Amino acid sequence: MIVCVAVVGHQNNPLYIQSFTEADDALKLHHIVHCSLDVVDERVNNPKNLDQLSMRHFWVFFIPLKITKYGYLTNTKVKFILVTTDLDFFRRFHAAYVDAVSNPFHVPGKKITSKTFAERVSTIVKSFGLSSAG
Amino acid sequence: MEEYPEELRTPPVTLISIVGCPELHTPISKHLHSEQPPINTLALPDFTKISVFSKPESDNPSPSPPIGILKRDWLSKHRTKIPSVLAALFSHSQLSSDPAAWLQVCSHIDQIKAVLRPRNLKLLVVVVLSDSNEDVSEDRMLALRKRADLDSKYVVVFNQNEYSQSLQRLGSVLAELANLYYRDEGRRIKLRIEKKTFSSPEFRRDWGEALRFYDEAYHILRQMIGTSKRLPAIQRLVEIKIVAEQLNFKISTLLLHAGKVAEAVTWFRQHNASYRRLVGAPEAIFLHWEWLSRQFLVFAELLDKSSAVIKNISSLVLATGEKTLTEWESRPAYYYQLAAQYLEEKRSSFEIALSMSETANEIDNSAESVVPSTYVGQFARLLEQGDTFVMQPLTDEEYIRFAVAEGKRFQDSFEIIALLKKSYESYSNLKVQRMASLCGFHMAREHYAVGEFNNAKPLFEGIANLYRQEGWVTLLWEVLGYLQECARKHGAVKDFIEYSLEMAALPASSGTDTQSFRFKDCGPAGPASLAQREVIHKEVLVLVSGESGLASVENSTNLKITGDNPLHLEIDLVSPLRSVLLASVAFHEQIIKPNSSTLITLSLLSQLPLTVEIDQLEVQFNQSDCNFIIMNAQSSPLASMVDDKQGRRVETSPSLTLSTNRWLRLTYDIKSDQSGKLECTSVIAKMGPHFTICCRAESPASMDDLPIWKFEDRVESSPTKDPALAFTGQKAAQVEEPDPQVDLNLGASGPAFVGESFIVPVTVISTGHAVYAGELKINLVDVRGGGLFSPRETESLSMDSHHVELLGISGPEGEDETQLGTDEIKKIQKSFGLVSVPFLKCGESWSCKLEIKWHRPKPVMLYVSLGYSPHSNESTAQKVNVHKSLQIEGKTAVEFSHQIMLPFRRDPLLLSRIKSVPDPDQPASLPLSEKSVLIVSVKNSAEVPLRLLSMSLEVDNEGIEGSCSMQHEHETLLDPALLVPGEKFKKVFTVISEANSSKLRLGTVCVRWRRDSVNEEQSGSTIVSVLTTQTLPDVNVELPPLVVSLDCPPYAILGDPFTFLVKIQNQTQLLQEVKFSLADAQSFVLSGSHNDTVFVLPKSEYILNYKLVPLASGIQQLPRFTLTSERYSAGFQPSVTASTIFVFPSKPHFKVADVEDKRKESIVAE
Repeated sequence: MIVCVAVVGHQNNPLYIQSFTEADDALKLHHIVHCSLDVVDERVNNPKNLDQLSMRHFWVFFIPLKITKYGYLTNTKVKFILVTTDLDFFRRFHAAYVDAVSNPFHVPGKKITSKTFAERVSTIVKSFGLSSAG
Repeated sequence: MEEYPEELRTPPVTLISIVGCPELHTPISKHLHSEQPPINTLALPDFTKISVFSKPESDNPSPSPPIGILKRDWLSKHRTKIPSVLAALFSHSQLSSDPAAWLQVCSHIDQIKAVLRPRNLKLLVVVVLSDSNEDVSEDRMLALRKRADLDSKYVVVFNQNEYSQSLQRLGSVLAELANLYYRDEGRRIKLRIEKKTFSSPEFRRDWGEALRFYDEAYHILRQMIGTSKRLPAIQRLVEIKIVAEQLNFKISTLLLHAGKVAEAVTWFRQHNASYRRLVGAPEAIFLHWEWLSRQFLVFAELLDKSSAVIKNISSLVLATGEKTLTEWESRPAYYYQLAAQYLEEKRSSFEIALSMSETANEIDNSAESVVPSTYVGQFARLLEQGDTFVMQPLTDEEYIRFAVAEGKRFQDSFEIIALLKKSYESYSNLKVQRMASLCGFHMAREHYAVGEFNNAKPLFEGIANLYRQEGWVTLLWEVLGYLQECARKHGAVKDFIEYSLEMAALPASSGTDTQSFRFKDCGPAGPASLAQREVIHKEVLVLVSGESGLASVENSTNLKITGDNPLHLEIDLVSPLRSVLLASVAFHEQIIKPNSSTLITLSLLSQLPLTVEIDQLEVQFNQSDCNFIIMNAQSSPLASMVDDKQGRRVETSPSLTLSTNRWLRLTYDIKSDQSGKLECTSVIAKMGPHFTICCRAESPASMDDLPIWKFEDRVESSPTKDPALAFTGQKAAQVEEPDPQVDLNLGASGPAFVGESFIVPVTVISTGHAVYAGELKINLVDVRGGGLFSPRETESLSMDSHHVELLGISGPEGEDETQLGTDEIKKIQKSFGLVSVPFLKCGESWSCKLEIKWHRPKPVMLYVSLGYSPHSNESTAQKVNVHKSLQIEGKTAVEFSHQIMLPFRRDPLLLSRIKSVPDPDQPASLPLSEKSVLIVSVKNSAEVPLRLLSMSLEVDNEGIEGSCSMQHEHETLLDPALLVPGEKFKKVFTVISEANSSKLRLGTVCVRWRRDSVNEEQSGSTIVSVLTTQTLPDVNVELPPLVVSLDCPPYAILGDPFTFLVKIQNQTQLLQEVKFSLADAQSFVLSGSHNDTVFVLPKSEYILNYKLVPLASGIQQLPRFTLTSERYSAGFQPSVTASTIFVFPSKPHFKVADVEDKRKESIVAE
């Protein structure tokens, strides 16, 4: 099940955060997403790991709350962070992001406020929730 | 970690025992302890004491299954009580003397055997020999061996003479036996199903095998969870967990000890995964969390310890098993953090448990008697029955009560803070700032919860900075909420207002985000939303209005802004409060004339959710005269009266209302009479009677984005209506100097001449300004720029480096030097001068003269600038400058040339002249001892007439006799020759060189001249004569071998014959063969030989005699005489002028007088 989906800009500022939990733990998820940037930073800044780091890279790591976080780095240093079970998610999520920032009225680096994007993300998340459940 | 018994924390140690021969006990045990690995020794004083090892009888007959998994003292028993080997020492005297002693030995051995057998302990018999000649017979040794039922190698002879060798032998045999024992024991224990656990391999120092044993035990334990029914459910789980904890601890320690960090981490992950979900009964959940927290804490401490040994964790390959390990998992910080997290869980579930147990008071008495039972992880009630104590098992309910009572004694908060602090520091050291700040946040929250606001505040602030930087609004909101509450509880009004305003101006907003802000446990500020921002803003507005304090606060007296307690906020360029109020100031013009007004636009922006009413705005400049105040017309006009007395300008604006994200633009006139930079420094907004915000002014051209709002997708408008101004507008402008009203004249006439002191009159005429503290600066600059005054291109003759020099500045006519004040400045350098100008009233004038001397012809730019202040009082502040420049050409006034002529009709044969190609660089040659004529001419190359005062040749060489006509010089002085431009003046000198030096200096020509100015008398200045000198080039002097002189009368008369003599003089010591010829001339009839070869004797003269009769009158060419010297193969001819004669048609009649004198007179030619 996907708990939370986030897009983080190249200055490590949140562009989009959406949680998909019933419980009211959005703040905790904010913390989790923020902390996972440490891992991303560590990977990006460490030259030893960088040669393995192609344009897109995946991380799998534990977090105390029974969840697994995945990170994904685009070549414009925009990070996607979420909790999921399938990495294919990112490809579709990236496509949605590209469409959202291709909007001529969107200023890159600003928050994503597009409703279409939110809907698409929901759809992707739901489809994964279903497929993993089923 | 310290709560574990020592035997768990440290590697196990082999234990042996020795008995008999007590005098040897100390050295033996010392030696064994120093062995590697060490062996502990239990020394028994005599054989009666060996019964301590006998197995208690009660255990044996009851085959009933044990009631626990692991006895509490099992491991320590094997470390301190039950040895693996018993070494029995017998002295030589006991063995070899009387039979009674031998019997005694036999009975000892039997006794030992009886004790050791049930425990399967090993026996070693040591025969001690105190002397080398002592010996024990073979029979006795055999009998001893048989009696003890031992292999021969376990009967050891300890010879005290070979002390150290014997000790070593004893030590190795003991170690071997101990190994044997622990292996057997391990095998034996393994057979027992439940107690298949512990680790004789570990005693044998075989850690790999020990690990396997532990691992196996752990897994069996895991299987027991579901199956065992022996204890009530809760306690059973507790027991299993505690045993598992100890096993886990052992395994982790061993793995880390072996440096297998990756395996230890993987192991721990498994351990965690297996037990995390074993929560247990709901009322005992807190026990589970506590246990889990302890697991993490212990593992963190273990890692911490071992990571000191294993430095480079990151280099370890952590990818083992099916899942990749991250580096975080090998850091203790991670485990500390989780330990803290689980402890928080424990606390919250404990609180629930506590509230559920209503009979909290009752349990106290019953809990007192609960003690740990003999088995690890079990508890029992200790009941007193007469003298003895009886352990009674507990029910689950009783156990929970006991646990709750125990739990109440602990302060979880401090524990959590300590854990988080460790994690925080560890993360900070690793530069993992976000994890560190999460730990810091939790830590600060704990501090906050227990009321330690002073500890909480710096932590919160540090975290807030990170969130501000990265724009995590929601997280920032929460942290600020805590900070705001801290400030409220502290009564710090300023902090409270600052945090509140920052929160109110955060982009926590509407739209898609709202649904996600249903926080379960959001901070004291509530969820981040627009509504909440408005609530906070309103609260601030109420507080700022000063009407009432914050009613909601307990000690509201502190949080009030009054006249005694006004509040002033500063917002600088990096303040997070920039989004609360941002002031942008733009001058419409970059350069302003003094006293003329220009426009300035002041723009204010606020991101506060509600509209803000500003009562008064004060705009401050670096020139405080320009400050002005803008009053809000809607607010009460009383403030204007207060400010008027300070003399500041007061403007009124119909409305000073700031609404969210909309610029409030105000445009006003501004005027400055002070030149220099005019910069707007700050804008102070006054809201309410006692609250002001001072906002640093920013230029629209160089304005940064708002810190957090830059990530927001909002409408951005420019601070000024004019978009160009928004791009280029500056908060500072340059005020020009006032126009000077003083004339500065440079009255120079014509070009300057090299050598003279050129006078440039400078006049300062005040035409409108009075001149105070005037200063005249003079600069001489090369027109071509650079390198003018440097001596680089000059030859060595120039002593001073400056080709053009400022000699002096003389004041106006008749000015007494003493009138100048002592503070008047007058500084003159070679190319720079500074002179102060006295006070001039309007309309007055002042002048001075600059005296400049040229050493070389060169054009020069003369810059003169006058700086003055038009007002006496602000002499330093306001300077007006006038600049003038003039290019002056420097020229040479006179040009020299010279010519050397040989005596008339006398031609020496100069050998240097007969070269085929004449060398132009060759200096002129003069014949020795001949009278030569030097003609020096001076040409006026200037454009003005000059008057020549004197001319002389100064000889500085002894080898030359310059017979200059000195007596003529004063003649020239008396009547100075006037030279119009281009005119030449010539003077003739006679030179007879007598020295036999090849080089001859002719000397220096000195010419004294002055300008021939008509108005020299009226200008009043005496024009000083100038001396110009030029050194004449050197000449060669040589002895001519032959000199030909023609001798004829000065004139001839037609038809009248005259004698023409050609004298050939041989000046050498040699015979000279000379060929000569005389060409015919039309105008003369000639008698004499035409050509011949003659020999001229040394130092003698040969004379050719001709008689000529002129046939024509006028200037006539004499017959040309040509001479060729055979010796020098050089021929020469007298010049045409020399061989010309004037023929009168008849005898002339004129008076001839003083002809000789006139010939020498200097003449003015042309």
